[in-house]
Amino acid sequence: MSFKDVLKTQQHNIRDYGMYIAFVAIVVFFAITTKGLFVSSRNIGNLVNAMSYIAVLAVGMTLVIVIRHIDLSVGYLAGFLGAIAAISLKYWHLPLFATILLVLAIGILAGLFTAFLVAQMKIPAFVATLAGWLGYRGALQLATRSTGTIVISDTTFNALGNGFIPDFPDIGILPGIHKVTLLLGLLAIILFIVGEINNRKKTQAYHFEVLSMNMFILKLVFLSAILACITWVLAGYQGLSWAAVILVIVVLIYYYITTKTIIGRHIYAVGGNPEAAELNGISVKKITFFVFGSMGLLTALSGILYASWLRSATTIAGAGMEFDAIAAAFVGGVAVAGGVGKVTGSILGALVMASLTNGMNLLGWDISIQYIVRALVLAGAVIFDVQTRRGAK
Amino acid sequence: MEPMTEATPVVEMWNIKKNFAAVQALRGVDLVLHHGEVLGLVGDNAAGKSTLMKVLSGAYIPDGGEILIEGKKAHMTDPLDARRLGIEMVYQDLAIANNLDVTSNVFLGREAVSTQLGIFGVLNNRQMEQEAQRLLDRLKIDIPSVRLLVERLSGGQRQAVAIARTMAFNSKVIIMDEPTAALSVAAISKVLDLVRELKAQGASIIIISHRLEDIYSVSDRLMVMRNGRKVRDSLVAGDIDDFRERVVAYMIGARDDFAREADAVAG
Repeated sequence: MSFKDVLKTQQHNIRDYGMYIAFVAIVVFFAITTKGLFVSSRNIGNLVNAMSYIAVLAVGMTLVIVIRHIDLSVGYLAGFLGAIAAISLKYWHLPLFATILLVLAIGILAGLFTAFLVAQMKIPAFVATLAGWLGYRGALQLATRSTGTIVISDTTFNALGNGFIPDFPDIGILPGIHKVTLLLGLLAIILFIVGEINNRKKTQAYHFEVLSMNMFILKLVFLSAILACITWVLAGYQGLSWAAVILVIVVLIYYYITTKTIIGRHIYAVGGNPEAAELNGISVKKITFFVFGSMGLLTALSGILYASWLRSATTIAGAGMEFDAIAAAFVGGVAVAGGVGKVTGSILGALVMASLTNGMNLLGWDISIQYIVRALVLAGAVIFDVQTRRGAK
Repeated sequence: MEPMTEATPVVEMWNIKKNFAAVQALRGVDLVLHHGEVLGLVGDNAAGKSTLMKVLSGAYIPDGGEILIEGKKAHMTDPLDARRLGIEMVYQDLAIANNLDVTSNVFLGREAVSTQLGIFGVLNNRQMEQEAQRLLDRLKIDIPSVRLLVERLSGGQRQAVAIARTMAFNSKVIIMDEPTAALSVAAISKVLDLVRELKAQGASIIIISHRLEDIYSVSDRLMVMRNGRKVRDSLVAGDIDDFRERVVAYMIGARDDFAREADAVAG
């Protein structure tokens, strides 16, 4: 392979690196301007909780956009499902476990209904989900009309969006540090390093090119250091929140599905060329049902996290969340035309947007300026994306 | 030379008919393809060649006639049936996903898995990459890495991937619809080399093209269609200018070897 070929294979990674660099720049900027407040344990913990419900939506939205669709209905659907959860707990007196299952099931059904409109009735997703946006907004108002805001008193439910994982009893060592979080962080670093080394060995066994040893070690050290930093910062407050745990699990599952499984490969094939996918025996219809079904499931999860975070279901819950999720996906490198976009990218996009909001709030910037800054970041990210992609051809 | 007649042909299509509303796209066409043979299929637009190939590849169900694959009667209701019988089609618009890498395209819809879990089956990427690389090497296709996204390849390389894909699964018959359309001169010659390489490795090929010089340079036999009928079926012989002149005469209807049969059927 010539150097040019190496560059070619690496081209699609340049966009990813650009995003990581931009994120680090944003963190450094706010860390300095807020005199360290931004990177304080407490703030990072809050930031993660406040972004989790958007990030969960962004994961589902990534797949929807990859198969060339869009879902505008997820915001109010999440709000509506949060209200269902609140009503189920408060008025139907269903146990927490049953409530969560019920809400997730309704979410999946709602997603499958969208898929039915899109795949079976051949309505453009934009229109079908715009109808959903209106419909779920009405449903949310209907559900909360007699009660107004429903306050949720179930502490376990509320812990999902606010609580932290338990710690060992205080035994004198490392006071004030969340030891379980520290251990989990250490475990994650070890798993990551072992996984990377195994992967490298296997790839070499098949005689495929791998990163040079120096670059490989640099990558391991760099990413391990980042994991260690995050762990240390989180352990300094109350440790890992349940919302963060849920988010990590969702990301791991979706990362796995999109990169390692047949259905993941087929989702991207449908996004790249639906006719080709169909000719190769991939059912575009089935993929559409799967992707919208998963979007519905994640919307339900997002609704639960949001209601739990607020400890209540409000009459306007979920308003605008769909656009935050779509923006996160686009900032994260998902292509408008479909076929391209990673789950990890969208998470990073959600993190970038949440960091901006959080940082600007800490600095006390005017809300109108905040919107404009976020607009510039969104447009800038997509311009960067389009340019690097075009330059690659 | 004409392959031995007693050997069972790999494909036999007898009296194939296909109507679209009032239009008779195919009016009883016969086609025979022998093992290891390259058959050129030509005809003007709307002569029925693509329709005939879509029947053979399972995309269309014929209204009449029968298809035999290696002497056995075949019933195909969709392209997957045809594929299971070893019939592969390279589509004119390539049917390739540009956003995926070479390996993913070669194995699209037929991924190798390390764990059987239905649609959640775990991809065996390394094995697929290795096999894809071997395939490209075997067919002498020059692509720097099987991990390249197809959108980074040239038109000729993409065509090569589309063709190579048909060889990944021990196919018996490869149908190519205009494989050299929209390619540069250099890329055309590479694609034709690839066709010869496939033939040398034992593939039986049907190739549709408007470029008569391409047909002339790779085909053993030629079949001309016009208005949904076969009007000429002969070995490719003579020099290129004679060949072209004769073929064009059949294409525009000035000559017709099967006119009497057609009249008999019509009468």
